[in-house]
Amino acid sequence: MRSATRVRLLTAGFALCTLVAGATAQAATAIPDAPARWVTDHAGFLSPAAASELDGRLGTYADRTGHQLLVYIDHTTGGDPIEDWGVRAFQHWKVGRKGIDDGLVLFIFSDDHRLRIEVGYGLEASVPDALASRIINERMVPQIRAGDRDGAVRSGVDALVAAIGAPPGADAGSAAPHIPTWKLVMGAILLLLLIGFALTHPRLAWLMLMSIGSGRGGGGGGGGGFSGGGGSSGGGGASGSW
Amino acid sequence: MGKVLIGLGVLVAICGASCVGSYNKLVRLSQAVDSQWSQVENVYQRRADLVPNLVETVKGAAKFERETFTAVTEARARVGQLSAQATQQITNDPAALQKFQQAQDGLSSALSRLLVVSEKYPDLKATANFRDLQVQLEGTENRIAVERMRFTQAAQEFNTARNSFPTVVMAGLFGKRFAEKAYFTAQAGAATSPHVQF
Repeated sequence: MRSATRVRLLTAGFALCTLVAGATAQAATAIPDAPARWVTDHAGFLSPAAASELDGRLGTYADRTGHQLLVYIDHTTGGDPIEDWGVRAFQHWKVGRKGIDDGLVLFIFSDDHRLRIEVGYGLEASVPDALASRIINERMVPQIRAGDRDGAVRSGVDALVAAIGAPPGADAGSAAPHIPTWKLVMGAILLLLLIGFALTHPRLAWLMLMSIGSGRGGGGGGGGGFSGGGGSSGGGGASGSW
Repeated sequence: MGKVLIGLGVLVAICGASCVGSYNKLVRLSQAVDSQWSQVENVYQRRADLVPNLVETVKGAAKFERETFTAVTEARARVGQLSAQATQQITNDPAALQKFQQAQDGLSSALSRLLVVSEKYPDLKATANFRDLQVQLEGTENRIAVERMRFTQAAQEFNTARNSFPTVVMAGLFGKRFAEKAYFTAQAGAATSPHVQF
């Protein structure tokens, strides 16, 4: 009887503690979930062909260099300054690799007529504010004003990629990805094992092959989408309007 | 009797474990505040580093604005004297933080006056050097706003943890080690960083 009361008191105490700790709930933000593609266009700003072409390019670029460059286009920030919205989205989506923070997002809000390049901490040396501002105001804005939206985004991305370049290890010229030796050796061993397995258990091997094939099929078109790497930004970059 | 002793033992063990847990949590949060503070100092330093170049550039075209230059240089000097203060002291000392904020706000307003003055000189505004400096200053003000906001978040997180029951009892035992963190006070017009219309 007494021990039961004690237990009840204890649980009540713990409940109180967790309640107090839980009282510091985060304020709600209007930032949407992280985009799944490298180029996201909710406003129909780009032609579908240009969007998918850019998406493929940025996907390949990320595969090759590790730098995550995103293009995010929407109607409006809902009244927030684009600088504020951008830094919060960047933080929420965790663009760029953790610890290196080598991400970058080009934000365009078509109804606000505003655009911004938000630069991760790790790319601030490659894309200083003055350069970001020039890309926006001297390349993109004139083209948007002239009605060439695809061209504006394309030339903005071109300039950013040219400024960031590839890391010293990667070969910017070759399209073939570099595979380390140990992976090749492992692959060879696996292949030998698989051939051996296929010779001894042909039916089972066939079944496995089928299942692998169908699994691949569901994964969507090549290149792979964006998923946050854990990077962050500190308000670096520049904004502009048209 | 035996049951009571066991119960007491369990209670002491739970209290001890929770004490160690809250201590470690406070240490972690306090570290986060300090490292965020160094980010704040970095971006303010970045702005201070821009000042001489900016003053020189504006001076070249606007020779007659001596007062404005003096005000900026003096505000810059006051900021320079501050930076020597240790991080640990300032995050635990509201008065020191307020002094820091006052000096930085002084530089903010001196700089915005400088930019207002430069509006009068179209030749100056047309130079690439000045435009780049403007963009850099704008970017730095934005960084300051971001890092200040994150510092305040980190400090609030620490203070909430520190003042929650039962951690507050434990924190009290360590005296100044877990003193409440100070944070920036938003003043009229400072909530949105001094945004200069160029």
